Amino acid sequence: MTVAAQTLNAPPAMGPAFAHALLPSRSHTARIPAHAAVVQDWTPDPARLAEYSRVCGFTLRSTVPPTWLHVLTFPLHVHLLGDRSSSVRLVGAVHVSNEMTLHRPVGATERLTLEVRADHLRRHAKGALVDLVGQIRVDDEVVWDGVSTYLARGVEVAGEPAKMPHLGFEPGMPQGRWRLPADLGRRYRSVSHDPNPIHTSRVMARAFGFPRPVIHGMWTHARALAALEQRLPESYTVRVGFAKPLLLPGTVGFRAYEDDDVLHAAVTSRDGARPYMVMEIDR
Amino acid sequence: MNHDVVVVGGNRTPFAKSGGPLREASNHDLLTSALDGLVARYGLAGTRVGEVAAGAVLKHPRDFNLTREAVLSSALAPETPACDLQQACATGLETTMYIANKIALGQLTHGIAAGTDTASDAPISVSDPLRRILLQASAARSAKARLAAFAKLRPSHLAPLAPRVEEPRTGLSMGEHQALTTERWQVTREEQDEIAVSSHRHLAAAWESGFFDDLVTPYLGLAKDAILRPETSMEALAKLRPVFGGDNGTMTAGNSTALSDGAAAVLLADAAWAKEQGLPALARIVDAEVAAVDHPTGADLLLAPVAATGRILARQGLSIADMDLVEIHEAFASTVAATLKAWQDEDYCTSVGLDGAIGTIDRDHLNVTGSSLATGHPFAATGARLVPTLAKLLHERGPGSRGLISVCAAGGQGLVVLLEAV
Repeated sequence: MTVAAQTLNAPPAMGPAFAHALLPSRSHTARIPAHAAVVQDWTPDPARLAEYSRVCGFTLRSTVPPTWLHVLTFPLHVHLLGDRSSSVRLVGAVHVSNEMTLHRPVGATERLTLEVRADHLRRHAKGALVDLVGQIRVDDEVVWDGVSTYLARGVEVAGEPAKMPHLGFEPGMPQGRWRLPADLGRRYRSVSHDPNPIHTSRVMARAFGFPRPVIHGMWTHARALAALEQRLPESYTVRVGFAKPLLLPGTVGFRAYEDDDVLHAAVTSRDGARPYMVMEIDR
Repeated sequence: MNHDVVVVGGNRTPFAKSGGPLREASNHDLLTSALDGLVARYGLAGTRVGEVAAGAVLKHPRDFNLTREAVLSSALAPETPACDLQQACATGLETTMYIANKIALGQLTHGIAAGTDTASDAPISVSDPLRRILLQASAARSAKARLAAFAKLRPSHLAPLAPRVEEPRTGLSMGEHQALTTERWQVTREEQDEIAVSSHRHLAAAWESGFFDDLVTPYLGLAKDAILRPETSMEALAKLRPVFGGDNGTMTAGNSTALSDGAAAVLLADAAWAKEQGLPALARIVDAEVAAVDHPTGADLLLAPVAATGRILARQGLSIADMDLVEIHEAFASTVAATLKAWQDEDYCTSVGLDGAIGTIDRDHLNVTGSSLATGHPFAATGARLVPTLAKLLHERGPGSRGLISVCAAGGQGLVVLLEAV
């Protein structure tokens, strides 16, 4: 990454950044910051990792799940898109897909350098797609890369409309069933520090067009990864596509199957007919 | 094995539906009752038994030393050591193998294996957040820190939690898992109801003939298994609505085991020692094999015993046709039906690592005195019910008769034990 960087001492507090991110942008032309946001040599709180593991269903180990590393970079997503130079706001944007690569097992107590930049702004039929590209390094070694793709509605970008990244899905009988309690959004908020009120407040969820609060996509991603934890190799790339918001409380199905070197999984409706999230792991 | 291990005999309480005639009895009470009946039957009062191993699936935290406490309440010498073991529904069979293996190695001359469960007195626990808050508060060194811990308390934390009946990794109950298996193996309602009717008929006939007179001791006024319905019929079972597998499901309360209360125990001994003591020997414990399947990614939860059956027969150089009697634990009628189908399925058997299909048995040799559908299934007790039952049946058929016990367990596990009459 050769872009200019704004270095922070620690991941920024999310309250003020989010308040800022809630302010509508006056500009209809999509703009994203050119600089990267960086937090250098920072060690996350082990108690928060433990609670994250409990909420998502991971076994607490000395090495961390890659979705946890994503969670650590998330404040930088908010911070970056809350910047003056950005007309794309994270609140109201829809997380449509995510890809991350764990290059090697990352220890729970390692000192991490987190970096996030916004990139690849492109036109979409409903607005604009933007990638938030994260990287985590230990000293100079890249240990994790992540790309979160968001759809920002109502902003314009020049060019041909791009298609949403799409993962295949085939209906099938679920092998598992998860009951998502009403307070799951609150519990995940306490570990993800994502204060977006559509996950916890009925009123705010309605304001954004959802009948009830919806669970964070990255919880669903983490829970699906946790369900396969014994099959995950030391390093891998995992892709997810979010098909539909998952309302709280709710009950969903889960299914996984292997196909050559790819492990497929899907979080579906109870009968396995419709997907909420589709996941692929390259092994 | 260096020493021959024999089943001397067994004893159990009658089994009853949870909330029924045994509802006031705790696991401690039930286990003590089963042990005392065994002690009385074989004249062990005041003697030091090598070791007692038992377990319970639904267990209170205060029962961390359940078996030792039951021994101290029993007529056994207080110098009798004990330990708790647990392997879900295979617990009573796993405790049998734990004691049997120690005897085989010469570490014990004799021991008691047992299991108990009560769904009437199931432990209710506090929620995870409340537990953490209480632990933090008790570790706090100042009133302020204690208050800070309690400040995190939310009303929702106070709701008590009943024990989970679901597989933790899939969120599906055992019945829901079995419903998937039922569909996959195309087990019909009729097949299941026939198994249920035959379980009740066989158990009723066994009680009628006095078979259980030296295997069961009355408890709290209950002299006979209380779930047994000798008069049940295909017509009566056909009227029941499905409880698993949706509206078109085939699994009903009649062809699924009831939540039950009860305890069972079995006395095992070194064959030579039993002879010296003038104790009877019903059957020799030949071998055991445990297996597991990957149910979180779709394998049939309750078919793990199939792989164990194939492996144990191969190791012993035997075939299923060499078995004079077979006991397949009736978790659900459909479990028995699917197990029998899987035994005959070449593709399934090779998919779990066997050389080929296991084969088939004559239905007249299966669960001949009824099984868990009619008897009931206090989870940890079932294995310790099956061992003396099959040992006695084989003994009646004469020396050299062989039998196999197949028990499925939560977590996608299964345990199979081979017995041979002496």
